[in-house]
Amino acid sequence: MAKFLEYVPGDSLLHRMSPAAKLVGAVLFAVACFVNSNLVFLLVMLVIALALAASCGLGRQTAGLCKAVLGFSVILAVVLVLTTPAGTPLVPLPWGYIGTGSLLAALTVIVRLMAAAIPLFLVFYVTRMSDITNAAVKQLHVPYKYAFTFTSTVHFIPVFMNDMAGIMEAQTARGVAFDGSLPKKIRLMVPLCVPLLVSSVRKTNSTAIAAEVRGFNLRTRESGYKDYPLAARDVAALGLCVALLGAAIALTALGA
Amino acid sequence: MIEIRDFSFRYREGREPAVRDVSLSIPDGCFVGVTGPAGSGKSTLTYAVNGIIPHCYPGDFYGAVTVDGLDTVEASLTDVSRLVGSVCQDIDSQMVNAVVEDEILYGLENFAVPRDEIPARVDEALSSMGIADLRDRTIDSLSGGQKQKVAVASVIALKPRVLVLDEPTAELDPASSVAVFELLARYAREHGTTVIVVEQKIALLSDYADLLVIVDDGAIRYAGAPDEVLAHSEELLALGVNCPRSTTLMNALARRGLYDGPAVRNVAQAAAACKEVLA
Amino acid sequence: MIEFKNVSAGYDDGAPVLRDVSFSIADGEFVAFVGTNGAGKSTTMRLANGLLKPRAGEVLVDGASTRDLKVSELARKVGFLFQNPDRQICCNTVREELLFGFKALGEEGPAADAAVDAMIARFGFDPDAEPFLLNRGTRQLLALASIIVLAPPVIILDEPTTGLDFRECVKVMDTVRELNEGGTTVIMVCHDMEVVADFARRVIAMTDGRVVADGPTFEVLRDPAALKAAHILPPQVTEVALILGREVPGVPPAVAEADTVSQMVEALAAARGEEAVGSEADAPSDDVAAVLAAEEAAAPARPAACAEGSR
Repeated sequence: MAKFLEYVPGDSLLHRMSPAAKLVGAVLFAVACFVNSNLVFLLVMLVIALALAASCGLGRQTAGLCKAVLGFSVILAVVLVLTTPAGTPLVPLPWGYIGTGSLLAALTVIVRLMAAAIPLFLVFYVTRMSDITNAAVKQLHVPYKYAFTFTSTVHFIPVFMNDMAGIMEAQTARGVAFDGSLPKKIRLMVPLCVPLLVSSVRKTNSTAIAAEVRGFNLRTRESGYKDYPLAARDVAALGLCVALLGAAIALTALGA
Repeated sequence: MIEIRDFSFRYREGREPAVRDVSLSIPDGCFVGVTGPAGSGKSTLTYAVNGIIPHCYPGDFYGAVTVDGLDTVEASLTDVSRLVGSVCQDIDSQMVNAVVEDEILYGLENFAVPRDEIPARVDEALSSMGIADLRDRTIDSLSGGQKQKVAVASVIALKPRVLVLDEPTAELDPASSVAVFELLARYAREHGTTVIVVEQKIALLSDYADLLVIVDDGAIRYAGAPDEVLAHSEELLALGVNCPRSTTLMNALARRGLYDGPAVRNVAQAAAACKEVLA
Repeated sequence: MIEFKNVSAGYDDGAPVLRDVSFSIADGEFVAFVGTNGAGKSTTMRLANGLLKPRAGEVLVDGASTRDLKVSELARKVGFLFQNPDRQICCNTVREELLFGFKALGEEGPAADAAVDAMIARFGFDPDAEPFLLNRGTRQLLALASIIVLAPPVIILDEPTTGLDFRECVKVMDTVRELNEGGTTVIMVCHDMEVVADFARRVIAMTDGRVVADGPTFEVLRDPAALKAAHILPPQVTEVALILGREVPGVPPAVAEADTVSQMVEALAAARGEEAVGSEADAPSDDVAAVLAAEEAAAPARPAACAEGSR
């Protein structure tokens, strides 16, 4: 089973931090990566991000994540290389050239995306989904209905994937061979969306009822039993993230 | 006290009423087993008690259903839910949280149970269902039987006067099914909670219920103590309702003139009665 | 013929679900797998028709390893009815659903059409009905029909009676019994010990990924060690007989060994010194198929394919 973005239990510093502080900190960190284009600065940010991942023992998950982000950013980088004629020309192209500047820009994109993505994903690995949403509702004033929609979606993804696997299994048992070329596989899978849809509608309907008979409509921002007070370490971490963002802005403003 | 008077209901998309002219009184603390063939209206009957009809499934509602004097049609679903706890049929959809403890907290938080009461309520609900050790587990990692116990615990934490369960053991193996019934019955006895269970497993219902209700074609055919109802095994069979095999055995012995006691509802009673036959 | 030779299996990187399981099932047998959820029964079923390949050991279907057989070859040999018919049903009409297997195997043609027509007639389906609007029991029957229409020599049933009412359960099991009498090998996972006792001729009990008992139905269901190991309760009449055998001194063996209602009634009557009249007409209907026959005679059966009017 793919356990993408699923909580990994632990008691590292990051695990123990307040969910709201983690979420805000990660967002600040990501913003800092985007306001600044200095490759050295971004490399420093990437090193910090990797160090954070290592500090909570999530090297393996982070490596997997980096691969995924890398795949995505390489596509962007290739486009950039081909469309940003800058620096010393290296390879002439019919519509311009590939220069050292183009390569630098491409590398910047890759490093930036990875540095920005890692902390955001880490938040999900080191925080229970329920804590994220509870804290988001309580401290960040996110409306509960949005939070509930989000958690339900996350909750249902594995349920639906499980359903789809079950449906494909049942069809395999009837002789449908799903292995083979991708177009063939997709052609075979499309009709199976009907049973999946039918079961999804039934499931979401009964979840809605189950929530309603347990007082969904009464829930307010104050309902959550658990509190997520900010500890000194949370304030310090947030301060650090603000400082990083300040540095990023300052560097940009200085034209570095 | 639950009072169902001349109750009929037709779902908006249905041509025929699902339930017609049903009346039933259920005293406090009664363990009620409802069974009948598929599509007989047995779930509809329980939906009227927990307010799912007409609040979630609209349709034509006739008659009245009251729980401790509260009219389930006039009251909002939320107010009905304060008195009547419901466990739906599909265990996986019942869960709205990822971790057991949060699932138990959910209703307590929504109904604004005072903060200082909450820890005791959570502990009690978990231990009533024998799942104190599952508190920090993720719901994904639980077996079907464990999930069902979590679902029940999340509702009894709210201390409802009435518990309504729709086929709680459909997905469970025999050992877990018995465990769920055993825990439910014990909880209900200790707290005076009224329990209404819709169930296909007649042997379990016969064993645990105080009041056995047989629904067929939108009407209540039999309602009474299990031994009274099970005495009609032939008629039940004609409706498509099986009897526990121990009941069938003793009814067969009665036909042979070897037994003249009341209908039996479980293996222990059948074994005791057979000992009498042998003596 | 299905053979498991020292099979170990599991999912992905997880812990093994089956450990060193061996048994063989001959053609024409009717075998029930019993045990708690998580004992490895469903995994065994998946291995038997090649949906899952063993980590170690071998699963042989008619002598060929499931590792070497193609999906289509396996589907032809071993039909599989899943617990939830809604995972299987995927077509817009009952007729298309029944034809689906032939399409998947590339065997459409007059022979397939004839087989589908025969199924429609046999179950009284409405060929143009929309499968998802049928009630639960009829969907289960349709799922079963769309498997057996291909006439596989072996069928696997994963909890075929779960979620069905008594009448639907009888219909499904009656069909299965007929198939078995016609020579089809039947392998089922079943939690209802009364159904197991009424239909299966052999029981394999599993616990924790291992086989803990394997033998003729009542030998296993009367074996206290097997019952305890597999966390199962025997069928009620057997349990009564076991209690009497344990607790009544000098109990006649016929009582202690009775497994059906009629056996027990006759044994008790004999113990009381009464003559074993046992007129067949008087014999209690012990067995669900007999009940069905009586019921069908008494009341006109509902049409199998009726749209679900109520929830």
